Amino acid sequence: MSFLFNIISILVFTLACLFSAGCTSEDSQPPGPQIEDITGTRQPIIYRLKWLYNASVAGDIWALHSGIFRNHGLRVQLQEGGPEQDAIKDLELGRAHFGVASADQVIRAAAKGARVIVLAQIFQVNPLQWIYSGSSRVIRTPDDLKGLCIGITYGGNDETIMMALLKKHGISLDQIRLYAVHYDFNPFWKGKVDLWPVYRNTQGIVLQEKMDRGGHEAMFFDPNTHGISFVANSIITSRKIYLNNPELVKKFTRAAIEGWTDAMDPLNADQVALAVHRFAPDTPVDMISRQLDATRSLVAPEHRKKIGSVDRQAWQQTKDILVSQGLIQRPPDLETILKTPPYDMACGTGK
Amino acid sequence: MNILEGLFQFVCIYSCALLLLWTIKFIYGLSDYLIPSPGELVRIVHSDWVIYTRAVLNTLAVAIAGHILAVSMAAVIGLLGRTDSRIGHLTRTAAYNLQAYPIVAVAPIIFIFLGNGLASRLLISAMICYFPLLLSFLGIFSQPVEEVEHFFRVSGRINWKLEIAVRTFENLDKLKTVIVGSGTLAMVGTIVAEFLAATNGIGYMIRKALYQNNLARILFSLFLIGLCSSVYLSLIETLGNWTRRKLTGNGHEAGHEPELQ
Repeated sequence: MSFLFNIISILVFTLACLFSAGCTSEDSQPPGPQIEDITGTRQPIIYRLKWLYNASVAGDIWALHSGIFRNHGLRVQLQEGGPEQDAIKDLELGRAHFGVASADQVIRAAAKGARVIVLAQIFQVNPLQWIYSGSSRVIRTPDDLKGLCIGITYGGNDETIMMALLKKHGISLDQIRLYAVHYDFNPFWKGKVDLWPVYRNTQGIVLQEKMDRGGHEAMFFDPNTHGISFVANSIITSRKIYLNNPELVKKFTRAAIEGWTDAMDPLNADQVALAVHRFAPDTPVDMISRQLDATRSLVAPEHRKKIGSVDRQAWQQTKDILVSQGLIQRPPDLETILKTPPYDMACGTGK
Repeated sequence: MNILEGLFQFVCIYSCALLLLWTIKFIYGLSDYLIPSPGELVRIVHSDWVIYTRAVLNTLAVAIAGHILAVSMAAVIGLLGRTDSRIGHLTRTAAYNLQAYPIVAVAPIIFIFLGNGLASRLLISAMICYFPLLLSFLGIFSQPVEEVEHFFRVSGRINWKLEIAVRTFENLDKLKTVIVGSGTLAMVGTIVAEFLAATNGIGYMIRKALYQNNLARILFSLFLIGLCSSVYLSLIETLGNWTRRKLTGNGHEAGHEPELQ
């Protein structure tokens, strides 16, 4: 009898473990009204983010959490991104309806025949910047980089951006030293590397805090202020969905931009931080609040157009950089990629 | 299995996998971004073969060194852990525990202390491939070969060195198999280390290609990795057969008495 009881207990425990392992945040989203998708079946809309849940996806989280998607008649499932995730691939394989990808991903994919459409540009300023200690130097112009050791991720966006910057300002590689960056920040802490690439609004805030505690003033070198506009995250969909389901595209884009607009409103800052914290419980709320402040200046800079605007000049420059560095073979026509949704939307600058 | 046969078999398997991939691509109309076209693969091979060949040879060199290190580590730990003493127990516990941690979790600590150069790659490579070796070494070193050892025991000539020699000799085939098998893991370990934090080798090239979503480069890397692994495994196998022949005399299996003429 006790043997049978033990077996049943183990089975129940195993089932409970399997059940809890299978329950992701996506599964536990509150159900909302569904919309017919392109296949005619009633399915949730899959929205594949570019990165893990953090302040960089605050607008998307807020659109879901505050019911904006639902109010637009959409039942959306957010899917966390990450280094191994690629929204464009998911779109092409039909695993997602919408996604977030950086401009270089979009251009590379389009250059290889992927049928992808950009609906809105989330970041107006690229969050990829370089942190350095302001206690020992202030970098005002790219010329100040001469003689310094600069961390770059070989093959990554930061390499592309830094090479473009150096080329633009006529700085040769023998005037600087490059250091191959990995996840270990020690070379930066030890002073072996002078500038370290970070995402200004997430890692940048964490490192800034650590440097403050160590008595160092953290400063950021932003290539964007020195003429390099390399576009970061944008909302994308597949050409198939764009052409076959314009209503869905229209509603989704409007809802996503509304989510971002509300999330970047300082009046909502506390609630948005709590919403992000629900998805990223490892990050303290006050840290998320500071990250949101930094995100606001990148998504809704005061001198720029409205949230979601597609900066065509920046896209053109991004494409030119990729071409000049030999990273794409057949440059795609940006006019076929950059579309605002097929309706009149005040925030868009596209056709 | 000779080297050419191993290479031929690998090329056949790789070609079949590639054909399958392209069949899927054309059936479903997938873009070159998802699965590169044959033309793109040819272009990448043509433009990158020198740098990728150099990288894979670099990886192979580290993998061989890591493999040798792993065999040495496993032999030493196997010798220590074969006994029923406290040291034996402690060694076995430490060895098993070390293996329980995924290398990606341990790697950051290794990289912090050893940097992202050769030492880290070597250590990670050795750590990944040493465990199957250790299990075999422990099993072989702790399992008496009674019919042989009995004679030495009753005549009072047995000592630990003789025990090891007898047990090793009697299990040469088993040892050869596990050493050949762990050669693949040495290659895998080196690539994992390079992928995580090194600045050299084919794992590093794959990481860069992944950043750029360049699957053609990854497919080419996989081809070179397979090619090198096949050559290396065939070489160890040939070396193992040669060693066995030398030790057992005229090519008879270890553990079996040659038939009397």
